[in-house]
Parts: sequence; structure tokens; C-alpha cells
Amino acid sequence: MLNILRNTLRLSINNLVRPFNTTAPIATEKFDHKRIPADDEGVQGEKIIDIDSVLQTKQNLFPTADSDNLLFDGVPYKDLAICNIRVSHNNTIFTITDAEGKVKLLRSCGIEGFKNTKKGTNIAAQTTAINIASKAIEKGFRTMRVRVRGLGPGRLSAVKGLQMGGLQIVSVTDNTRVSWNPPRPRKAKRL
Amino acid sequence: MFLTLKLLANRHPSFIARTVFVKNNDVEGACRIVNRILGKEGILEQFRLTRYYEKPFQTRRRVNHEKCKAIYNEDMKRKIEFVLRKNRHEPFPGCH
Repeated sequence: MLNILRNTLRLSINNLVRPFNTTAPIATEKFDHKRIPADDEGVQGEKIIDIDSVLQTKQNLFPTADSDNLLFDGVPYKDLAICNIRVSHNNTIFTITDAEGKVKLLRSCGIEGFKNTKKGTNIAAQTTAINIASKAIEKGFRTMRVRVRGLGPGRLSAVKGLQMGGLQIVSVTDNTRVSWNPPRPRKAKRL
Repeated sequence: MFLTLKLLANRHPSFIARTVFVKNNDVEGACRIVNRILGKEGILEQFRLTRYYEKPFQTRRRVNHEKCKAIYNEDMKRKIEFVLRKNRHEPFPGCH
């Protein structure tokens, strides 16, 4: 009896007291997800590697005051030949210099026969690196320190290619030009 | 002594700063460590930001987005910690 009463009450309440209207939402603006730049890992290992665990192993990874006189292949570190790698989006240029900075060998992906967009690929960088490494070994440079400048697809593969070509790489240095108060850069590309 | 002299002569001396020695012929590993350090110090970020001129409205939008993301990440981290909290003597009974 009570239940029936309650049910009728609920029905009446549902029908009369709680009308609901179905108007369309007022805001029509959709959120454009393209506006947010995507998180990309531009350089391999930039975000993944856990540096703290590497640092805790306490190998002599980083140069100190007396690392200049460390011997590699019987040559002190400061007198080793240098391989400068200039990496850009469109090309990779290798220069092998002696310790004073006199250029002994120069090779780029363009010289190697890669043309146009192919110059800027990691494969081009690797083959060029292997070639310049064999030429350097002919000239008598076996042990080398590497200095990389710039970001691009050939950054990692260039250094790897040098090793594949038979050079012994002692250290890897980054020499990317970065400024915190630069002159006004060129205008952004239109897409 | 030599290091201080070198540092006095040049604020960014080559082969002292941003340098990693290659151990056990692991060139790739050394490169990765260099890249990781550069990424963590914000050098690569700065390089990318100053490659092209960023208009003021873009700067504002980027900064706002970074703020939102930081707030979201902070709260999400707290939430995950809350969901994963445990107060048992043996946190996962039956699993060894």
C-alpha cells in the first residue's frame, strides 16, 4: 500500500517537478590540439637516460685538471688530433685538425655525393664518417677527440661512424653555440 | 692551477666543459650522456628556442602552456601517489 503510494508520488514528482531541457551547449569553440607543440625527443637520449645512476658509478667520465696530461696511445690528451663535426639539418661536415687546430682533412656529406635532402640524413653522415675515418688512418691519425656542434639527424650516427671506420675516440665534446641573450634570430618559418 | 688558468682565459674552455670520456669503446653511451646533460641543463631547449625569432604572443602562449602543464603534472603526481599508497605490513601478499 505504502509502496504503491510512494511509486505514484515518485512518478508524479518525476513527471511534474523535474522537467529537464535539452538545449545545445552554448560554447561552440573547440579546442585545437594542434596549438600545443608536441613533446618530441629531438636528440637521442636527451630525456630518457637516467644520469643520476650513471654519475653514481663514479667512473672517471669527466675531465679534470690533470686530464690534459693523460696518455692515450702514448700521446697526452691535449696533443691529440681533433675531429670537428658540424651537424645541421641539411648537412654534416667533418674536419680533422691537429691539436693546434690546423685543418688536415675536410669532408662533408655533399662532397661524398649525397645531394639535396639526402645530405641531411643519418645514413649520409655515417658513410661520410666511415670514409673520413679511413682517410685519417692513412694519414696517421688513429686516436682522436671528437667535438660536435649543432643539432641534426646526423649527430649520433656521425660519431658512431667514426668508430666504425676504425678510429679510436677518446672523448666526445659538445660545442653547440647557445646564447641566453642572442641578437634577434631570423623570422620563424611559416607553415 | 692549470684548470683555473684555462678557465680564466676562456669561460667555456673546449674539452673541459661539456665533455665526456669514452669508456670501454662505448661511444654511443658517451654521446647519450652528453645529450642527457645538455637536455637537463636546458641548453638544447635554449638552442631550439633561439633558432627562430619567437613573437611575444608565442612566448606568452608557451609560458602559459608550461604553467598549466606544471600544475597538471604536480596534481597528477599527487593523485598517483594517493592511489598507489599502501599501509600493509606486506604490500603485495602472495607475490614474492
